[in-house]
Amino acid sequence: MSEDRGQGGGGRTLFCRIITPERMVYDGEANLVMARIADGDVGVMVDHAPLVSTAEVGDVRIREGEELHVFATSDGFFKVAENLVQILVEEAVEAGEIDVEAAGNQVEEAERELSEISEDDEDRERVRAEIDRKRRMGENLMRVAGRYGQG
Amino acid sequence: MASLRDLKRQIGSVKNIAKVTEALQTVSAVKFRKAEARVKKARAYADNVEQMMRDVSRSASGDSPLLAGREVRRIVVATLTADRGLAGGFNAQVLRRTAQFRAEKGQGAELGQVASGRKSVAFFRFRNIELDHVYTGYTDSPTYEQAREIGRALTGLFEDEKADEVYLIFNRFESALTQRPVLKRLIPVDEGEENGEDEERDDNLAYMEYVPDPETVLQQLVPRYVETMVWQALLEGAAGEHGARMTAMKNATDNANDLAKSLTLQMNKARQAQITGEIIEIAAGADALAAG
Repeated sequence: MSEDRGQGGGGRTLFCRIITPERMVYDGEANLVMARIADGDVGVMVDHAPLVSTAEVGDVRIREGEELHVFATSDGFFKVAENLVQILVEEAVEAGEIDVEAAGNQVEEAERELSEISEDDEDRERVRAEIDRKRRMGENLMRVAGRYGQG
Repeated sequence: MASLRDLKRQIGSVKNIAKVTEALQTVSAVKFRKAEARVKKARAYADNVEQMMRDVSRSASGDSPLLAGREVRRIVVATLTADRGLAGGFNAQVLRRTAQFRAEKGQGAELGQVASGRKSVAFFRFRNIELDHVYTGYTDSPTYEQAREIGRALTGLFEDEKADEVYLIFNRFESALTQRPVLKRLIPVDEGEENGEDEERDDNLAYMEYVPDPETVLQQLVPRYVETMVWQALLEGAAGEHGARMTAMKNATDNANDLAKSLTLQMNKARQAQITGEIIEIAAGADALAAG
């Protein structure tokens, strides 16, 4: 593992990785990484203090020189150590690649499912949380696509 | 000795078998390569979740039962097999490991069983072992959704005190030729073996800041950790299944071809014997005529 990338050597560069269960979505240098964690938005620049937190549904913005990469992300975990930002989330979609229609369907479907939960289901709290997650991620995808989608 | 016609028919059917197994082998090879690539790509996530689990569990104070455990009354084992057979010992070895584990643990505690894959479901149903949860129909190409469903269910069993320990038994993928059945404790979280690298890490961890605090992060991390371990196991299972089937079908094809070869040899010998017999008869007939 290149856990200790950026450590030693004096090369003061910040790296950022967005990792989902399926694959590494982003792996590159960054000047500034902005994300939403447990207690609000956080901005990480080079030599940031080590930090571990949960990542909330929202977006991750990575500034690299003149470029800005934006990803819509689901909840997960956020870690900074030794000039490496690691964002472990279930889903991460680059703003330009969001399928707005599918996201809209996801929200509608979730809302319908929420209204259909049976009160007798002993597992209903868990089911509700699960569906609500899906709804929030759908809304998040639409929001990010609307704001950063076209360029 | 079998008649010429019987031999011919046998050769035909053996060759047909070889064709079928060879086709299965080709299909499995394609699926295997895909599944293997998925395992490799997914490793980064699993490794990092595991690493984070180790770090956080060392920083978290208090005795969360998720880490420290509690009195064990009921143990749940989740066994992952494939939906389909024709994969050599792939399914059997995991089931054998499960049976062995159940025999070991069954003395001291009540046992619960979760089955993923039709082969394991059939195995436990046949033995009248009650199943807490059943998952089938995707072992070919699992998605994270399924891993989450299983993971949530397993964490749920612990939360509802229907399980005090949760284990996972699956085939670790080593290569197309080797898959090893592995037993892993999911809850309470098994922090894994200590090594020198970790000691060094401990120094760095002292400066690690947790937001809001290690306990909260831990609480959210454990279900995710369980899901991730299930996910990794499902992916490795899929790669192993296709690999094992590929190998099994290659052996079957080779055997069928060998058999066809030896049957052909037998047929040729039989034909020659027949011809020789006929010539002898004709020669004998000609001799008889000439003598007469």
